[in-house]
Amino acid sequence: MEIIMIVLAAILFATGVYNLLQKQLLRIIIGTALISHGAHLFILTMGKLKRGAPPVEAHGVSDYADPLPQALILTSIVISFGVTSFLLVLAYRAYKLNNTDNMEKLRGSE
Amino acid sequence: MNNLAILPIILPLLASVIVAFIPGKLNMVRKISQTLSILFLIIVGYITWEVFSNGVIVLQGGGWKAPYGISFVADYLSIILVLTTYVIAAAAVFYAPHSLSNQQEKFYFYTFFFLLISGVSGAFLTGDLFNLFVFFEVLLMASYGLIILGNGKVQLRESLKYVLINLFSSMLFVTTVAFVYSIVGTVNMAHIAERVEAVPAEQQGIITAIGVLLFFVFAVKAAIFPLYYWLPNSYVVPNPVVSALFGALLTKVGIYSIFRIYTLIFVHDTSFTHDQLFIWLAMFTMLFGVIGALSTNNVKLIITYNIIPAIGFILMGIGLYSEDGLTGSIYYLMHDMVVKAALFFLVGALVVAAGTKDLSKMSGVIQRFPLLGWLFFLGTLVLTGIPPFSGFIGKLLLLRGALSEGYFLLTLVALVSSLLILLSMIRIFIRGFWGEKMEGMTSDNRKVHALTIPAIFLLSVSIFLGVGAELVLPYIETISGYLLDRTEYISSVLKG
Amino acid sequence: MVFAVFAPLIFAIIIPFISRFKRKIHTGWLILPVPLLIFIYFLQFVGRDFSTIMQSTNWIPSLDISLDFYLDGLSLLFALLISGIGTLVVLYSIYYLNKEEQLGHFYTYLYIFMSSMLGVVLSDNVFVLYTFWEFTSLSSFLLIGYWHYREKSRYGALKSMLITVFGGFSLLGGIILLTIVTGTTSIQEMVSKSDLIINSEYFLFILVFLLLGAFTKSAQFPFHIWLPDAMEAPTPVSAYLHSATMVKAGIYLMARFSPIFSEVPLFFVLLSIFGLVTLTWASYMAVRQTDLKGILAFSTISQLGMIMAMLGFGTTYGVFAAVFHILNHATFKGSLFMIAGIVDHETGSRDIRKLGGLMTFMPISATLAVFGTFSMAGVPLPFLNGFYSKEKFFESSLHLEGSGTFVEGLITAAPIIAVVGSIFTFVYSMYLFFGTFRGEYQESELPKKPHEAPIMMLVPPAILVLGVILIGLFPNFFNHVLISHSADAVYGDSVTKKIKFWHGWDSRAFQMSLVVISLGVLLYLTKSKWDSIYSFLPGPLSFNRVYDWIVEKVESVSNRITTFYMTGSLRLYMVLILTTIIIITASTLVFTGGMNFDVNDLAPITTAEIIIATIMALGAIGTTIAKNRIAAILILGVVGYGLSILFVMYSAPDLALTQLIVETVTVVLFLLCFYHLPNLESGTKSFTKTGTNLLISTGYGLLMMLIGISAYNSRFAETISTYFMENTYKLGGGHNAVNVILVDFRGIDTLFEIAVLFGAALGIYTMIKLRQDKGAK
Repeated sequence: MEIIMIVLAAILFATGVYNLLQKQLLRIIIGTALISHGAHLFILTMGKLKRGAPPVEAHGVSDYADPLPQALILTSIVISFGVTSFLLVLAYRAYKLNNTDNMEKLRGSE
Repeated sequence: MNNLAILPIILPLLASVIVAFIPGKLNMVRKISQTLSILFLIIVGYITWEVFSNGVIVLQGGGWKAPYGISFVADYLSIILVLTTYVIAAAAVFYAPHSLSNQQEKFYFYTFFFLLISGVSGAFLTGDLFNLFVFFEVLLMASYGLIILGNGKVQLRESLKYVLINLFSSMLFVTTVAFVYSIVGTVNMAHIAERVEAVPAEQQGIITAIGVLLFFVFAVKAAIFPLYYWLPNSYVVPNPVVSALFGALLTKVGIYSIFRIYTLIFVHDTSFTHDQLFIWLAMFTMLFGVIGALSTNNVKLIITYNIIPAIGFILMGIGLYSEDGLTGSIYYLMHDMVVKAALFFLVGALVVAAGTKDLSKMSGVIQRFPLLGWLFFLGTLVLTGIPPFSGFIGKLLLLRGALSEGYFLLTLVALVSSLLILLSMIRIFIRGFWGEKMEGMTSDNRKVHALTIPAIFLLSVSIFLGVGAELVLPYIETISGYLLDRTEYISSVLKG
Repeated sequence: MVFAVFAPLIFAIIIPFISRFKRKIHTGWLILPVPLLIFIYFLQFVGRDFSTIMQSTNWIPSLDISLDFYLDGLSLLFALLISGIGTLVVLYSIYYLNKEEQLGHFYTYLYIFMSSMLGVVLSDNVFVLYTFWEFTSLSSFLLIGYWHYREKSRYGALKSMLITVFGGFSLLGGIILLTIVTGTTSIQEMVSKSDLIINSEYFLFILVFLLLGAFTKSAQFPFHIWLPDAMEAPTPVSAYLHSATMVKAGIYLMARFSPIFSEVPLFFVLLSIFGLVTLTWASYMAVRQTDLKGILAFSTISQLGMIMAMLGFGTTYGVFAAVFHILNHATFKGSLFMIAGIVDHETGSRDIRKLGGLMTFMPISATLAVFGTFSMAGVPLPFLNGFYSKEKFFESSLHLEGSGTFVEGLITAAPIIAVVGSIFTFVYSMYLFFGTFRGEYQESELPKKPHEAPIMMLVPPAILVLGVILIGLFPNFFNHVLISHSADAVYGDSVTKKIKFWHGWDSRAFQMSLVVISLGVLLYLTKSKWDSIYSFLPGPLSFNRVYDWIVEKVESVSNRITTFYMTGSLRLYMVLILTTIIIITASTLVFTGGMNFDVNDLAPITTAEIIIATIMALGAIGTTIAKNRIAAILILGVVGYGLSILFVMYSAPDLALTQLIVETVTVVLFLLCFYHLPNLESGTKSFTKTGTNLLISTGYGLLMMLIGISAYNSRFAETISTYFMENTYKLGGGHNAVNVILVDFRGIDTLFEIAVLFGAALGIYTMIKLRQDKGAK
């Protein structure tokens, strides 16, 4: 199972990077979102999958999933959310001011 | 006592929140920020003294013993960089009111400023790899906030690239943390180091690969060849005070992280990582950086490009991984933080004085602003590593380290790039300051003078670091000895 | 001695202040006593049969850098020259420079130089020597650029700085190697450990580094090109730095280090060759110059070459002659520079083609010039010191020893080259004097009506000329009290030579002198006939062009390289960054054998997961080809929701919930922001670009996959997670371990995660609000 998840994460990375290399802003930002999905999936997979119950202490359960990666992912999800929202507004403002959403036209000389 | 280790992170965070609540009362915000910066500098000075007299201070966050909680480690290296950060911060906060417009200040300059200091200090002090990621995000978020302050076309355009590239590298960082967790099952740096050491040599290949990946994460931030493309333009567009903070602090966090993990964790294959990879990249970084500095007539861009060769010098010391190399590297790191901030301040003043950024349109500025001119000349000497100023000490140790291990090509490249750095800087002096008095210089002499004062402060620190090297150097030598022998770090975190 | 070195520096710091407050008196008068007192201080050592003196002050003991000042015959000679000529130059400058000039700057630079130069010749510690060395270059830079509103001054200043600092860095490399090899930073100790140096594997590098340092500073061919342009400096500076003192620093360095290399023929051969080439080439070039100072500049270069060659001969004759000539050259060349300055000052021109017949107007200057030029030419008169040193030069060129075809060839050639060089020296000396003071007076060409200079301005050159005469009349007195001590210090052994005027007709050296004079007179008289040779001979050999070409190229090539990759294109940056990461990391993975596909310990596969994974993968691919912005955003949402379902399956309920909420909000934000943006176009049209993008993105995906699989299969230690499960309730007080980790175990992560959100919120607010404010205006 883990192998499939790793492959899936790699596909997310590849498509994310592919989008990142495009010139339209929206595609680029979608690319970053895909990459962060991939990264989060990676963390979970690296902590081993499906090894027991959710990490909530309960009677009669001795096998839990690894809680640490989950905590790290949570932190990371929230941070990416903050950055992505910032990025979206920034992209919108940059588009409005420069009148283009084409990064190749946003080269600039200084 | 241990709580001292987290003060440099928490205090500016609190300050950041406080000033965010009173954005309208600009005068008060300025006064509070200035007072707090000086107060913090004193506190950090005290902590530094404490560390050097009583040893490494380790705080286990929330009282959870390592490696389960988050450890904060105020060791010699991190605390001395935190101290340098606060020195620069104190200078910057006095520069800001004269450099920024009131409106820019109102839009949370001081909030982002303190947030940046908090993030930078956190990155220096944390002993936890994932927590390092969090602090990177804090300081990046603060830098995003600072870079958009101009909110003009150009600023937004360049911030966009800056944010995107950093977002990419942050995600790579998280992924790499996942890999590290997979192989050693921990995220505490001391614990990682301990566990990596226990891995048998023939299985260490994957660790090297992950180490290289992590190196690239930091190399993007540190602006090492060939990953620095994002740097020049995004550092040039914001206000000089922001550029100074970026130039002095942000790239240095990146190189510090490389310093940390490549002296603590990934030292099992130095013949590849340090001797080959770092040395070669250091050479290219020096050369391409200085080539960039020579390529332009934009005075601010010249200073910005000069960030890159300095990173090359520091990386060179890490690559040497010897007592001389590390001592020189740390000395150079401190020196460069201070002098880069000073030079950005000065060049900001120059742009105000001359009314243009374009060197080809400037001349004779020194006739109206002699003090500015001479400070700039002094800054040039400091940067180039002319003795007895601070750049020389680091450079001498680095060259000695390189030559005693027989790296002749490296030495040659280092010397040639020093000469080219001098050329790139002295061009500003000769073409901008010397010559016939130009038209269109500002009449606001007081503003220009106000802008030079923080630079005077920083340059005095530089001169002290050079002439008074004896008062500092033995401590730095302690640091390199301590870094080469990792046991003190590991044991003070894990058993402390 | 420490005080003597630093006194000028201290004054340099206070000069700007005194010059500001004391407008009425020329600043020069106020500070004149400084070099004079230093001169008197050093004078007390003269004549005493003194043993060397050493004074130490600690500076940076951790680096073995301390202010060790060491006085022996050689440093004494230089210290006397620096302070003595320094005094005269300051006196001279009082009349040369107007009170309206920025005198504060001038004297500050000059005194910084004086301190540094004294430091160079008195330091025993190589790093202190290096420090002072760089400061002589810097003060020279500032002095050449003193009249910085002139384009040529700036050009000359930059040129001299680049070349001498280049040499300085090279010297730094050399001395670092020396300290590594010998383990000491003291020159004296290095001399005593010379066998370590000679036998070290770094020997060649040391030699080359040191020679580059010395040759650039002492303007040896082909690095001499900076000196003629340095003549843009005010004349007192040319007399002081660029003929009497600073340019001799390279010679000093070689003299100082020559005991180390006493067993190495290569060292001496190189010095001789470069010295002789410089001598000949520069004296040949001097004849061509039309600017008085230009002639003197090339003359200085050629004389420096001569001294270098004599040092290079390495024999007792050579060393003695070299040291003797250092003194002689300083006296006659210093006086000539000052007179050139006087001529310039009083006539407003330095162009020898416009000058002529000045003897009637300026008889005293002319008289002084006779002594200077004739001494330089080596005319055999008993009161001209230049003749003695030229004689010694010839003598030493005749007493060479050595073996090997090349060295033997050199030995044969040396006297001939010496004669050729001296012939040209004779020619330009005559030209200099007769062209200026005799011949026809051209009133219309000169901007000013010439008249004799104020008497005090003539005093400094007169004192120097007096030196020329005295040394000429009583050579053995100077020899006894000073020269022989210096020569001993250089040679490392006693060098006693008598200086005699008359050696008899059969003396070979005298015969050479006669050849020089007769051919010299002949060439001088026929100068106009063979002048045209200059129109083609130095052309291709001009190193000025090489320098200009390099400096110009450095900028234009830098510009071309940088604009090539710094295009501002995000895509290009990402392509370069990703390519680097992929190639280096992948090769690391392969070459260190880090790959590990030894698959084990996997969770079982279920159909549901496969379906979700497939949907997500298809969705991800879908975003790359979607043409409609809404569709792309929604597909992205599908991928995000898929991820949260996976989280549910993998026992991560908290994550699933968070992911669900965040994904929803993000999609809404996306839609909000991009509603106004133009619709998506299909990706890039260019085939190569698409190809590159595909290659890089799959490469990156594959790399991550490989590392991921290898990392998954290389578990070297158990995770620390069991601790959390065991203690989540016991110590953390909560049942949900993820929550406890977030708020307790790793609470600081969460605190700063909130800080990030706080920053993001303020940033967004700023972006929106600042715009509104602008709109309101």
